[in-house]
Amino acid sequence: MRIIGIKKEYLLPILIFGFLPFILLLFPFININESSEHLMGFQFLIKVMQAIVDRGFSLSYLFIVAIMLVIPSIILVASIIAFLRPGMKILYFTIGMYSLELFGLVVNLLSFKATVDAAKFFEVGFLVKYLSMGYWLAFIIVLIGLILSMKGAKVSPGYIVLTVMATIWLFPTAWLVISSLRSEGGYYIGYLIPKKFTFKNYIDIWTDTSHWQYARWFANTAIVAVSNMVISTLLVLSTSYVMSRIRFKARTKLMSFFLVVGMFPGFMAPIAIYYILKVFGLNNSLAALVIIYSSGAALGYYVAKGFFDTISKTLDEAAYIDGATKWQVFIKIIMPLSKPIIVFTVLGAFMAPWGDFMIPRIILGTNIDNYTVAVGLYSMLVKEEINGAWKMFCAGAICIAIPISAIFLYLQKFYVEGLSGSVKG
Amino acid sequence: MKKTQLKQVAVNDNQIKYTLANGGVFVKLSLVFMGISNIRYGQLIKGLGFLFLELAFICYMISTGASSLLNLITLGTAEQSMVKDEATGMFVVMQGDNSMRLLLGGVAALLIIVIFVFAWVSSIKSGLKVTNLYKNNKRVPTIIDDIKSLFDINIHKLLLFIPIAGLIVLTILPLVYMILMAFTNYDSNHQPPGKLFNWIGLDNFRILLTSSDTLAQTFWPVLQWTIIWAIIATISCYFGGILLAILISSKGIRFKKMWRTIFVLSMAIPGFIGLLLLRQMLTSNGIVNILLQNMGFITSPLPFWTNATWAKVTILIANFWIGIPVTMLLTSGILVNIPADLYESARIDGATPAKIFIKITFPYIFFITTPTLITSFIGNINNFNVIYFLTAGGPLNLHYFQGAGSTDILVSWLYKLTMENRAFSYASTIGIVVFLISAIFSLITFRRSGAFKNEEGFQL
Repeated sequence: MRIIGIKKEYLLPILIFGFLPFILLLFPFININESSEHLMGFQFLIKVMQAIVDRGFSLSYLFIVAIMLVIPSIILVASIIAFLRPGMKILYFTIGMYSLELFGLVVNLLSFKATVDAAKFFEVGFLVKYLSMGYWLAFIIVLIGLILSMKGAKVSPGYIVLTVMATIWLFPTAWLVISSLRSEGGYYIGYLIPKKFTFKNYIDIWTDTSHWQYARWFANTAIVAVSNMVISTLLVLSTSYVMSRIRFKARTKLMSFFLVVGMFPGFMAPIAIYYILKVFGLNNSLAALVIIYSSGAALGYYVAKGFFDTISKTLDEAAYIDGATKWQVFIKIIMPLSKPIIVFTVLGAFMAPWGDFMIPRIILGTNIDNYTVAVGLYSMLVKEEINGAWKMFCAGAICIAIPISAIFLYLQKFYVEGLSGSVKG
Repeated sequence: MKKTQLKQVAVNDNQIKYTLANGGVFVKLSLVFMGISNIRYGQLIKGLGFLFLELAFICYMISTGASSLLNLITLGTAEQSMVKDEATGMFVVMQGDNSMRLLLGGVAALLIIVIFVFAWVSSIKSGLKVTNLYKNNKRVPTIIDDIKSLFDINIHKLLLFIPIAGLIVLTILPLVYMILMAFTNYDSNHQPPGKLFNWIGLDNFRILLTSSDTLAQTFWPVLQWTIIWAIIATISCYFGGILLAILISSKGIRFKKMWRTIFVLSMAIPGFIGLLLLRQMLTSNGIVNILLQNMGFITSPLPFWTNATWAKVTILIANFWIGIPVTMLLTSGILVNIPADLYESARIDGATPAKIFIKITFPYIFFITTPTLITSFIGNINNFNVIYFLTAGGPLNLHYFQGAGSTDILVSWLYKLTMENRAFSYASTIGIVVFLISAIFSLITFRRSGAFKNEEGFQL
């Protein structure tokens, strides 16, 4: 009993759920115990209609009427049609309407207080806890109706979960972007969407050096990143090539040794290095930072080694037979075949200093001129500064987040291999 | 028999004994004067190099090394003091010993001795080799041959020299230095250069682990929270990530790449920015509290970071934002590789989606990702960033050692102990404890996994 693409057994439940929102109008909708006001759904609806008659149309009233009456009616008609003359189009339409209704219910929940308080429907300020069974049941019924109609049209209900999760996951980033574009206020404003947008924060963070030396931090980090990129890449590639290809006596011992050294908390060595450098008066310098980053680089040879392991050894052997030295094999055979991992190592080493906070924090101490972006941006968020610096912080954060994220997204395939590559010990 | 042994270029222990016994006077001399054999049998430059190394070492030992070793034992005897200058009648600072420098010098001396011993052994081996070659009328490699061999048979020496030298000077030396501090009383009351600190043996471990001192009162709860945090964070993000990956890669979902990118974005943003954002979002006047109040959900701000229990739960949940995409990204690739016919036959046999997950998908993923799970558990024990950026260990706990807070894990407390309390001895002790936990845990688990046992098996 199937029409192509449609599961018929869902049509009857869809029809039944089409009626339910209207029955809900007879359920308690708002209960304010303090002033003993109890309204059922239709009573509240009448109250809103009354307000429209009295005070004229307003978007927020219409919105409430739409989600309580208009969209449910459309859904009902659509589900009746879907039941009588099943078809893909009408089911997709139902799904669309249900999604709209669900979205409306969420938005309504978020803006209900604003609407109700502005309209002065009740004497006390509105709180969400006053909403009663009718409203929450509507949520459940609409959600089930949506799932049913999705199943009927063979659309995965997973979209609902993904949409909700994606919203949560994107929220912090969205907030960062919005804050960086905000014109008015400091850190604390009592709302989300700015009243005025501007690019001034982006200009300020680069040019206004009276308080924060962002351009300088950026240059410092760039210097460290580029130096680290060159040195670390050379060290990592040579270490991993040797570990993968050359069999010498101390090899396994050396690998275990690297593993053990890597298990000490990451900043134990830097703390000691700071005091060692202090003895020589070299602390607080960018050079110290580069030295520390690249000295530990060899410990991260696993990913590249895993890649070298996958290059067939018969290539090397063929070259040896032709009289090539190991150096020639390394430079002329392995390296040209390893472009992806070279790119990964280069970009990875370039990226690291931009996101690292701990080591520069320890090494640079209070030398504000040598701050890297991470340490600098962090210093903008201390309690005394945050109100003035927040919007600029957001702009500055975005200026490094965009390139770094782009590199990361480009590298994510390797990152996966890197995570599973560590298996190869 | 003996002749064939001698022909071999490689030197093993038996040969060393044999050649030492029968190799003649130069071989025996080279035990004391490094490189003599090399010079005698035609490797002048190499031999002189060894000799020079020995001379330099002896000079170092006489000039500073010996006293450094001595100072390592005492860590200084003369404390800084005020002395009355007879000429002016003023009190001036009389510089004393700086225990920190002495400790550092001692560690450096020890390292230099170890390196010299390595050089000594290799000089003897090199001498034996050249003796063997000479006595068997083989061509003795010249310095040019040696340099050439660095690009061929000995390429590992060339390529590993800088990485290992860097590692020794900038990781091993500092680590040994820090580890040794755990056996001294280098705390806020014994700060060089004003004061001396001393060897106190295992006292720090005793104080930290067993005493009724506030340090011990802090250590055990912090350790407990570290373990709880690591277990919950690892497992929740692991399963959350797997479920998300399964959802995205399930048949009915379109735009898979878009969904993945949305979630991976939170990993792609530099970690400190993401975490600082989450922190600011959840402060008492952060956007979450503002919106919740505006919408009438609450009347007063929720104490996300200010209440100890709230803070712990909030950290665990906020960690999802970064942790779930990590597993999602990792497992997405694995899911593609699960043979489709497994699912096919399961479906024909009438298995429910839940059953398919428990019996097929999960075991498959688990098998491949066990090492990742272990690494991420250890990563979480050391997860300084999440704790430091979200709460910085706060809220402060008055029952704890000064400065430590309720959400501090061992590494964040270690950081505070060095940067704020200047109690290096305790910090180092904790560092050793953290190392032991990570090392023991990964030894037990890695050793069991096949991947570790059979490293060569992975290679083509």
